[in-house]
Amino acid sequence: MEKATVVIIGGGATGLGILRDLSMRGVKALLIEKKDLINGASSRYHGLLHSGGRYAVKDKEAARECIIENQILCKIGKGCVEPCGGMFTRLDIDDPAYEELWIKGCADSGIEATPITLDEAFKLEPRLSRKHVKSAYLVPDAAIDGFRMAWQLIDSSRRYGGRFKTYTEVIGFDTVNGELRGVKVRNQFTGETYEIGCDIVVNAAGGWAGFIGKLAGVEIGVQPDKGTLIAFNQRIVNHVVNRLHKSSDGDIFVPHGSITILGTSSMSIPDPEDTSTSRAEVENLLKIGEQTFENLRDFRILRAFAGSRPLYIPPGGASGRGASRGFAIIDHERDGLKGFFTIVGGKFTTFRLMAEKICDQICAKLNVTEKCRTAEEPIVPEVSQADKERARKFFPSYGTELAATRLGVERFKRVVERLESDVESRELICECENVTRAEVEEICKEDTIFNIDDVRRRTRIGMGTCQGNFCSFRATAVFADMGGNSMAKDSLVRLREFLQGRWKGIRPVLLGRTLRESEMTRSIYELSMNVTGGEPQ
Amino acid sequence: MNDMTKAIFTGDRCLSCTSCMASCPVMAAIKDYRGPKLVAPAHGRLHFSQADIETTLEFCSNCKTCDRACPSGVAVSTLNMLQRAEYYKTHKHTRAEEMLAHNERMANLIRKIPFGATFANIGVNIGKTLNVFDKLGIAGERNMPTYAATPFKNLFRRIKQSTSGKKIVLFTGCYINDNEPQVGEAFVKVMNANGYEVLIDENFNCCGSPLVSMGFLDEARAHAGNNVARILDWKKKNIPVVTPCTSCSLMLKAEYHELFGEDVMYEAAQNVYDAFEFLELLQERGEFNDNLKPLNQKFLYHVPCHLKSQAIGLPAVNILEEISGVKVQTADADCCGIAGNYGFRKDKYEISMKIGKKLFERVKQKDFDKVISDCGTCRIQIHHGTDIKPCHPIEILAEAY
Ligand SMILES: Cc1cc2nc3c(=O)[nH]c(=O)nc-3n(C[C@H](O)[C@H](O)[C@H](O)COP(=O)(O)OP(=O)(O)OC[C@H]3O[C@@H](n4cnc5c(N)ncnc54)[C@H](O)[C@@H]3O)c2cc1C
Ligand code: SF4
Ligand code: SF4
Repeated sequence: MEKATVVIIGGGATGLGILRDLSMRGVKALLIEKKDLINGASSRYHGLLHSGGRYAVKDKEAARECIIENQILCKIGKGCVEPCGGMFTRLDIDDPAYEELWIKGCADSGIEATPITLDEAFKLEPRLSRKHVKSAYLVPDAAIDGFRMAWQLIDSSRRYGGRFKTYTEVIGFDTVNGELRGVKVRNQFTGETYEIGCDIVVNAAGGWAGFIGKLAGVEIGVQPDKGTLIAFNQRIVNHVVNRLHKSSDGDIFVPHGSITILGTSSMSIPDPEDTSTSRAEVENLLKIGEQTFENLRDFRILRAFAGSRPLYIPPGGASGRGASRGFAIIDHERDGLKGFFTIVGGKFTTFRLMAEKICDQICAKLNVTEKCRTAEEPIVPEVSQADKERARKFFPSYGTELAATRLGVERFKRVVERLESDVESRELICECENVTRAEVEEICKEDTIFNIDDVRRRTRIGMGTCQGNFCSFRATAVFADMGGNSMAKDSLVRLREFLQGRWKGIRPVLLGRTLRESEMTRSIYELSMNVTGGEPQ
Repeated sequence: MNDMTKAIFTGDRCLSCTSCMASCPVMAAIKDYRGPKLVAPAHGRLHFSQADIETTLEFCSNCKTCDRACPSGVAVSTLNMLQRAEYYKTHKHTRAEEMLAHNERMANLIRKIPFGATFANIGVNIGKTLNVFDKLGIAGERNMPTYAATPFKNLFRRIKQSTSGKKIVLFTGCYINDNEPQVGEAFVKVMNANGYEVLIDENFNCCGSPLVSMGFLDEARAHAGNNVARILDWKKKNIPVVTPCTSCSLMLKAEYHELFGEDVMYEAAQNVYDAFEFLELLQERGEFNDNLKPLNQKFLYHVPCHLKSQAIGLPAVNILEEISGVKVQTADADCCGIAGNYGFRKDKYEISMKIGKKLFERVKQKDFDKVISDCGTCRIQIHHGTDIKPCHPIEILAEAY
């Protein structure tokens, strides 16, 4: 039987943070994820590395955690954090009294909030509404990319012996006399089920944590809380732009690489699998968003998407925006189940801290005395300037830096070599996000890639302007050629499922130019390739 | 104007459809150019990621074919020119670029060469006779542009016109002023015949088109500022500004506000007309003088890219066909390849000639009496590529009055 000291359930930010932390302390840990990594909230989120400003009035404790973690991640996460800075803007319709409370809250929580003149604000963010914006402050918000961070945490964990399995679902537990001995899992492709022996299980399944609890026979108050987000085709903002008012829907814009994300909303739902979005939700977000950016509707929308926050509801607590954004660690020994831990709630921003806290408890149980080192060591080493210089000769312009952080030192080196020796590998698979064939080939070869969406999350193909129009068939062909598993050969199915995935996010925003784009997709795939995508989902 | 309708923001409209790539004449001629969609709209989204430059952007000739091919109204070539100007913020211009961007410097250089103007006027081959241009990086194969003994400005003073309540201002443009004053004279004759008195405004600058395509954007901006103020002045007096040079008119009508985005530029544009566009307007109002001598001739018309970009149809064809006996056939052979000063660069000469091949072949069929084209550099290119000397359509019309 396969064995590990600790099995972690869930490949979101929380689970990955724990895998890295335990591995660095020398604990044999294995992470189990039922789909690809960051299948849950950790990619279906806003991408804001909070300064804490958002919580400065309501929850100073959370605000303080945020600013500390923000500073740590800016230091250790150079490959996934973009230190773009943030701005809080109060509009004419917002309560000026809140501004006073907020200034004080920031000061109390150790968040530097620098007032700026409106002229400065408009210079930094030219698209802000001159009519409505009344005051502005700069804060140290940043943008953080869940896709890159996830795989960087994996690279980091692997260096310390950490292991993981994707597309493997936890379906049950093996307990003997109230003590956990292992987990039962199922391979999602083959259907094969088997057991993995372990001493400790960490339930880091986010919005699914309650379901995992049920499998283990314990009650966990987790309320999946759905938030919808809109991705725009380009950077509308240079900073994270927040509304300076009591936190509400649609009041944050995050510049996320080449795009901008506007969000979000808050809606309790029974099942975190529900990632649907609707025209009404999109409309609601636009209505609020255009108070800050008057011309918002003139910007091209790429898609809408949604994820579920794992809100922890202690018995009798509030849900929705009223619920705490703090996190909870539960040692289920209290419920009579030894060796079973749950960690829920919190934020992406605080994943490292959450991991540190729970790993301290786990290590105490295991008599491991190693201290947490995750705050000091960079997640992954940086690609050297020399390697980047060499790469610039072969990479498309504006492509080197982004590819370097996506790929990391080793893969980047291999990709550059490939580009150098094989001229044809320099062609672009994805023209919108500037992804070369060499990079796609490098990723397709990895044994964690089972479909084109997996390639997308690693490379950003299909995530730009055309949403897969031209890269879908090219990437499918490369995967069919390079992929090491039988999934790769079934290329028509792969192409279809990828297009369906793109379509899902486009459908609720099928207006104006997005509609025109879709018609082009349809004509390319339906008329010239006879690929219709199958039944509507 | 709503901010978002400004050209500099049109990159966001790109559907990534590739029409622009399929129609770009430079891409068809040389593989090294990455192509319009991949430079302006696609890279525009990625500028945030690092300080960089698309080096193959130097291949873009600013012919604007991509803009016309685009179904989404992306001002691709303008975005390209803005990027090119970014490049020159940190890079020096070559001497050839300096020279070719500034018509007056070219003229001075030629005047300084002993017998320069004479050589030029007998159409000598630059490279073979005088190594000067070749060394500068200007295509040695090109004939030196011929310089008129008397620039149009001076000729104009001698032209006798009767005063009229109906006036227009002629925006002469450098090429007509320095090289082909006879086009200016023809223009005056045509306008007079239509009851208009022609004025010229000596305070106009070069429209700036060569400056833009060579990346001297600040200088072009200064020219635009002056010219726009002048145009608005004339507008106040209800006097339209008309030009027979299609690159000048495109610049004044569209490129200023596309590049620099100021509302006054848009306003000034409303007072500028291409020469034949203006005549067509007269025709629509029933004011065109159609008392024309018959002329039994067939013309092959090469439509300049920069006229196509104005989206005003082919007014010259419409007007010339008013002359009985005249037949105009369009050459229908795409870009001529010279694109202003582009084809004068040594390193772009071959590309330029390759692009022009289709047109040259069409012209060489010689199934017509004369080739006509409204653009001065198109005429240079056709002459160079075929040994057949074209003229401006306004010269034909002037003949008929
Ligand atoms: C719309 C929205 C916007 C947000 N914006 C921000 C923000 O800007 N900044 C910020 O700091 N935070 C933000 N958050 C919060 C943040 O995204 C989450 O708190 C965080 O990502 C949770 O991570 P997690 O690992 O706990 O859960 P998840 O990322 O949801 O991971 C849980 C994982 O468990 C897996 N799993 C479930 N069941 C099983 C099983 N049986 N077997 C194996 N695996 C299983 C799932 O597939 C999933 O991958 C946002 C959240 C939402 C919803
Ligand atoms: S302006 Fe002409 S050369 Fe430049 S990209 Fe457009 S079509 Fe090609
Ligand atoms: S033609 Fe227009 S929409 Fe199509 S790719 Fe080119 S710029 Fe984009």
